[in-house]
Amino acid sequence: MLKQIEINTDPIQAILKQNRKEIKFGLSMCAHCSLCAESCFLFISNGNDPEYMPSYKFINSIGKLYKKKGRVSKQVLEEMRDLVFEKCVLCTRCYCPFGIDIPSLITLGRDVCRTQGLFREYDR
Amino acid sequence: MIGFLITFIKGPLIWISFIVFGGGLIVQTFRLLKLTQKKETRRIVPDKAFKPPTELSKKERFLRYLMSQRVNPLALNICLVLVSFIFHVCLIMTPIFVLGHNVMLDTAFGISFFSLPEQVTDIMTKFVIAGAIIFLMRRLLLRRVRIISTVYDYLLLLIAVAPFVTGFMVFHHVLNYNTIILLHVLCGELLLMMIPFSKFFHMVFFFISRFMIISEHSLGNPKRSWHY
Ligand code: HEM
Ligand code: HEM
Repeated sequence: MLKQIEINTDPIQAILKQNRKEIKFGLSMCAHCSLCAESCFLFISNGNDPEYMPSYKFINSIGKLYKKKGRVSKQVLEEMRDLVFEKCVLCTRCYCPFGIDIPSLITLGRDVCRTQGLFREYDR
Repeated sequence: MIGFLITFIKGPLIWISFIVFGGGLIVQTFRLLKLTQKKETRRIVPDKAFKPPTELSKKERFLRYLMSQRVNPLALNICLVLVSFIFHVCLIMTPIFVLGHNVMLDTAFGISFFSLPEQVTDIMTKFVIAGAIIFLMRRLLLRRVRIISTVYDYLLLLIAVAPFVTGFMVFHHVLNYNTIILLHVLCGELLLMMIPFSKFFHMVFFFISRFMIISEHSLGNPKRSWHY
């Protein structure tokens, strides 16, 4: 319960509101085809672990926040931090066959994490 | 009541579905373009003028060229691209050039496209159904596809092949002809009306993002960029 209170939803919702169109468009356009997977070097070098797939990363960070209107627990947000900071280095090499701008969506996920004091942990 | 429904599906609803399809495509295209803006754009990669040094071996030169164009041959899923290409070509061509549709166009308006032989469209229909089965199997069997799949993906795949499955049944007189043809028309209308408002809108988005929006993967000479 205590963990719930630690989240400040106002800045999260501000980011969601400001970028609503982009997020909504990316989510509705993604055909969940998984063709972006092999374009991610982290996907390849981590034994084809699907959690490294670019689409998985944006759907389960900013996409999830959008669907839950920013109301998530600290624990969920910490998992997102791992997705957008540890499992993505924003090299912008991912390739979507339709041209969805995945890096900019993952960047929004990072923005949200930063407002809650969640960053990349270099000493892990 | 049933009689009214049948005449509605076989008459006005055809008109409605084509209007929703055409109007929807136009409206959605404008909404998409409003997310972009004209901008002075500069293309840095890929470098069209790049020429690999001539002293290298043929293989090395080819690899350098691919790198300059940002093509990663290892990331190309050749089999899937091929399946997807055949699926899409048949999906779009068959309904336009199938004899049954052109006969209807001819009786209604006196004009029609040329028709492909029925054996050919029958094979194309089978290709679409086969492609859909491959997509379905990937979705069920590959962990990377399953992990991002939702019920909606399965539903949309079903909506996309339904006109082909029922069209196939009509052509081969499987089950009651009149019932299946009604089902076919209904499925076709449903698909048409879904295209602008679902992920099938990628049929427009694909070309806009490739030819109108600047990025390292765009083609031609795009003049716009995203503007959220
Ligand atoms: C919206 C109104 C539609 C009407 C009234 C309609 C009607 C028909 C008719 C009368 C046939 C001929 C059946 C025969 O050979 O006896 C046919 C075949 C066919 N239709 Fe449609 N159709 C519609 C939409 C669609 C759509 C949207 C698609 C696909 C996207 C489609 C795909 C097919 C195919 C593939 C066949 C041929 C199947 C085969 O030869 O194996 N139809 N349709
Ligand atoms: C000219 C128009 C179109 C183009 C250029 C196009 C292009 C693409 C591309 C690049 C993909 C990426 C994934 C893959 O290759 O498997 C795709 C997937 C897909 N497209 Fe299209 N498409 C077009 C029209 C349509 C239409 C009209 C429909 C349906 C009525 C459709 C149904 C699908 C489906 C169902 C998938 C996902 C397959 C899966 O489940 O993985 N497409 N399309």
